[in-house]
Amino acid sequence: MSPISEPINQLPKPSILEKLIQRHSKLAIALLAIFIVVFVYGMVTAPNFLTLFNFKTIIRDAALVGIMAIGLTFVTLSGNFFLLSMKETAALCIIAFATGMASGWGFELSFLFTMVFALIAGISQGALIGIGGNPIVVTLGAAGVLYGLGAYWSDNLVVSYRRPHGAEWLGTGSFLGLPNITVAFILIAISAELLLRKTSFGRQVYLIGANRAAGRATGHENFWMAIKVCTIASVCSAFVAIAFSAQVSSAQVNYFSSEFGSSGDMTIMVIATVMVGGNSIMGGFGSTLRSSLGAVFISTVDNMMVLHGFNSGPRVFAVGLMIVFSIIVFAILRRGSRSEE
Amino acid sequence: MEEQLLSLSKITRSFGAIHALKEVSFDVMPGEVMGLVGENGAGKSSLVKIIGGFDSGYTGQLTFANKQVRFSGPVMAERAGIAIAQQELSLIPTMSVAENVLLVGDNVPKIATKRQLIKLVEPFLSEVGLDYIDPATSVERLSVGERHLVEVARLIAHDPQLLILDEPTAALGETDSIRILEMVERLVKRGKSVIYVSHRLDEIFKICDRITILRDGRSVAVKNTKGLSVSELVNSMLGRELENMFPKRISTSSKTPLLKVRDLWPDGLLDPVDLDIFPGEILGLAGQLGSGTGEILSAIAGAHPIRGGSLEMDGNVFMPKTPNEAIKAKIAYCSEDRKHDGLFLGRPIIENLTSTALKRIGNFGILQPSAENGLANDIAKGFTIDNSRLPSEAGVLSGGNQQKVALGKWLAISPKVILVNEPTRGVDVGARAEIYQTLHKLAKKGTAIVIASTDLQEIANLPTRIIAFYRGLKVSELGYREVSAENILTQITDPFGAAKLER
Amino acid sequence: MAVEKILSFIKQKPDLMFAIILAFFVYCVFAFTNDYFMTHRTTFAIMERFAVLGLVGLALTLCIIAGEIDLSIGSNAALAAVIVVRFTDSLGAPTALLIAVAVSTIIGLIQGYFIAYLRIRAIVLTVGTLMLLRGISLFVAEEKTVMLTDFRIPDFITTKVLWYFSPASLTVIAMFVLVGLFMNFTKYGREIYAIGGARKEALAAGISLKRPMIIVFAISGFCAGLGGVIIGLRSGTAQALGLQYLLLAGTVAAFIGGVSILGGRGGVVGAVIGALTVNFLNTGLVFNVTPAFMVQLYLGILLLVVIMFQTGSVIFEKRQRRYQILKDIDNRRERLKKEMKGGAQP
Repeated sequence: MSPISEPINQLPKPSILEKLIQRHSKLAIALLAIFIVVFVYGMVTAPNFLTLFNFKTIIRDAALVGIMAIGLTFVTLSGNFFLLSMKETAALCIIAFATGMASGWGFELSFLFTMVFALIAGISQGALIGIGGNPIVVTLGAAGVLYGLGAYWSDNLVVSYRRPHGAEWLGTGSFLGLPNITVAFILIAISAELLLRKTSFGRQVYLIGANRAAGRATGHENFWMAIKVCTIASVCSAFVAIAFSAQVSSAQVNYFSSEFGSSGDMTIMVIATVMVGGNSIMGGFGSTLRSSLGAVFISTVDNMMVLHGFNSGPRVFAVGLMIVFSIIVFAILRRGSRSEE
Repeated sequence: MEEQLLSLSKITRSFGAIHALKEVSFDVMPGEVMGLVGENGAGKSSLVKIIGGFDSGYTGQLTFANKQVRFSGPVMAERAGIAIAQQELSLIPTMSVAENVLLVGDNVPKIATKRQLIKLVEPFLSEVGLDYIDPATSVERLSVGERHLVEVARLIAHDPQLLILDEPTAALGETDSIRILEMVERLVKRGKSVIYVSHRLDEIFKICDRITILRDGRSVAVKNTKGLSVSELVNSMLGRELENMFPKRISTSSKTPLLKVRDLWPDGLLDPVDLDIFPGEILGLAGQLGSGTGEILSAIAGAHPIRGGSLEMDGNVFMPKTPNEAIKAKIAYCSEDRKHDGLFLGRPIIENLTSTALKRIGNFGILQPSAENGLANDIAKGFTIDNSRLPSEAGVLSGGNQQKVALGKWLAISPKVILVNEPTRGVDVGARAEIYQTLHKLAKKGTAIVIASTDLQEIANLPTRIIAFYRGLKVSELGYREVSAENILTQITDPFGAAKLER
Repeated sequence: MAVEKILSFIKQKPDLMFAIILAFFVYCVFAFTNDYFMTHRTTFAIMERFAVLGLVGLALTLCIIAGEIDLSIGSNAALAAVIVVRFTDSLGAPTALLIAVAVSTIIGLIQGYFIAYLRIRAIVLTVGTLMLLRGISLFVAEEKTVMLTDFRIPDFITTKVLWYFSPASLTVIAMFVLVGLFMNFTKYGREIYAIGGARKEALAAGISLKRPMIIVFAISGFCAGLGGVIIGLRSGTAQALGLQYLLLAGTVAAFIGGVSILGGRGGVVGAVIGALTVNFLNTGLVFNVTPAFMVQLYLGILLLVVIMFQTGSVIFEKRQRRYQILKDIDNRRERLKKEMKGGAQP
């Protein structure tokens, strides 16, 4: 049917406040409000919460998940949903790195060696997604393969290397009183945000994510985009793997699984971080800054619950609740204001 | 005289300041085929929506089967006995014909084997003339025409009193169209009433008993088909006073073509086409839905599959395979559906405007905000888009402003050729005039502009010359002096004189 | 006659045929390489594994038919397992079992409702519930591995009845039959196919999104719950963070069974064959003393291969359809040319 003439909406010019709301969206403000409430509550009830040391702990805890989430944000923003193989990529990479370190290759060579695997994993998954494979299913399969390869390589055993090693500075070193991993997190967060905001690559991420068909029509193909964003995500995973391995001076494929840590499955934590930050899952809306804040937010809540003596059950539950909450708020907010899919 | 089955009186429907329908009166007798004709934007779709219960925000009276009613939703209309076959099919391709026919509705059995379903649908299928197909075949194996018939079979399964067919043959070939017409005749014999909305005058003359003509949201006339001539009908359909929105047509253009299209054969066209596009002209491709004009444009831009052909510009012979290649050759293409692939609705307007030329606003991949703002402001000025609204989302704009953005973003690549399919679909009058002015200005500067449109006024008043298409065939070329609304209408609706032959 | 029938079956359901051949092939590989594979005991073991994997495969098959995917299936199963193991001692097995399955079903139902109400993709919501349910499971299990004290129940559900079957696998087979009947012979089953095969068209035809989504996710929750209960009772232990591998294995089973990522295709029979294939692989690998992590590698490769096969066939089909359209156009041209010769000139 040919559409009939649409009504002319003569919108008034937006005021400064409206501009603020428009730019940062209601959800970010809501998130900020919740964050403040939590912060205030924590300050009042947990005596050790508002110390500089604890604050540093929060940021440090947020760093690993945060870095991975920043990588995944590129995938999500470009409209390719998310990768279910984040932790498996990390698992393969941590084995690669530890093997390199154990063989005495030194940090630089091991680092490059690991990145080769990350690139292969990212490019191959990206290509499969780019030719039209469903991201969820492709990366679910890839997850099995990557994990299996890592386990096969290491015989499912712990690969350890002797301290002090060449990666000590990344694992346990610090700079101006901040752990180096925290510094890395901040640097990555800033450069990712600059990449998204200030470069034509970042612009393409947003455009393709907002409308893939229009992206194609204006000369931005999703095929190359899928490869690029998957590679970024994989490289971030690999970096996290290296940093974690440097901390514990060893590696095992299960380091990122929920059976190992108490805070739950790394892949899901990363996806949770991206979602809690308020990024649109359909793509085109959000930022890596949101993901970084999401990581800090989740870490803050987790930290508070630890200080209050909660076990891991309620803590995992809280993260789940935060995801579901943000999904629902997000879906209701976006309803009608944007075209679906 | 019999009682009317459906009667509408003084129906008015307005959207803001725009009246889609103004005091329309319309009625259908039992067992009658009522034709509904009018130009694009005359209000046919609005009227159909109201009758089908999709739109209840009207004023006026609607009487159906002697009861005054106001349907609050399509389900209500369906229960009352009104069924609508939309232009877009709602069949599930992966499912069988039988399952598709008995998909929804109160009378669909809750539990049934496949065989029982097949038995149940057989009468409906034979009613629409599909008794030769196996109800167990999946719909994706049927031809487009057969699918339309299956869709009608689903409607008939609800046993409606009144059937509305909204341009059922728009996308169909000759044979399939004939089958639709036969089916309508069969239904009417069984006492059903049909409202037949179509652009194809030959069909209207063939099957309709009476014809209601809409013009600018008013019902201007109800005529008996018998004794009516084509030209009389055409005259009542047009006759719209021309608002002063079209700039003076460009009469002359350069002698050497800018873009030569040779043997281009997009899927959907019956024959390859040759086009010469001159700099500084506005070329109009006239044709109805299904005539293939849109396919030609998108094929030139590398967005539609082709069987072969080539483009020649500045001595280079090439054929873009993706939109990207066309953009590199400075060919801009704006599709008819801006929401689908013309706009990034969730992104700011400024990003939309510069989306085609990221290289131009960047330096080694780093975006230069000043360059971007400058470029966007220039475009905004050219298209009369409010500068202060550049940072807000494209989604909040009205249809007209959205179209300006969708078109404007192509100025960023300083195109040599601009291809526009339906330049003003869903656009209000004010924005329309502005878009025409801008296109006109661009052509004067030496850009070649090609538009494809189903809007008769637009195609008759904007272009320098016109090439008319009918069902995937190029039928004629009209030069500057021959272009007139009547001329075009005959060429695109009835080029072979079939309607006149019948009468 | 018989040959013709088989041929026409192959033509109608190439996916199913592919699945059957694959299953047969996998079975044969292990039957030839391992002496113990073709024994009664192995067959029983395969059927025992089928009980759980078949259920998960069935649940995911339904979800994918409806055009969605349920990522929370492992968590849901783990929750059911924890509940049933935790409460069997105090409430008795039947009550605990009922509670566990009911909880899982209700969780699925609520998920389905929200997906339809908010009109969001299931993957988005189920990532959240995945985490949420893990939290609840941890809470219920008090962060420990819960264990049964009374081992009569594990013994009961793994007793052999009717040659190859146990009470567990018989229940699952009954479940398959029921769901199969539902999907094939009821209006609601057809709605699920419609909503997955062409969502926009189905909504335009007047199907509401709510009913099919709620049904699909309720069944998915039920299957997950039942699967979790069987695992929990059979092994006598349950971990809140366990059963993650179910998602991958179930997805592989569903895709081998012929569902399409585009939705609307596949069926219960396919799910059976897919689950059996994965089971043959699983059991065979275990018999050949392959470590458990290698199974994941093989499953991953299998899933990638099936997905690539499917993506390829989608492209192939598109091309086929285009040829059909071109042929149509050629016919129209012929006819029109003929008419023009006989009748009026333009």
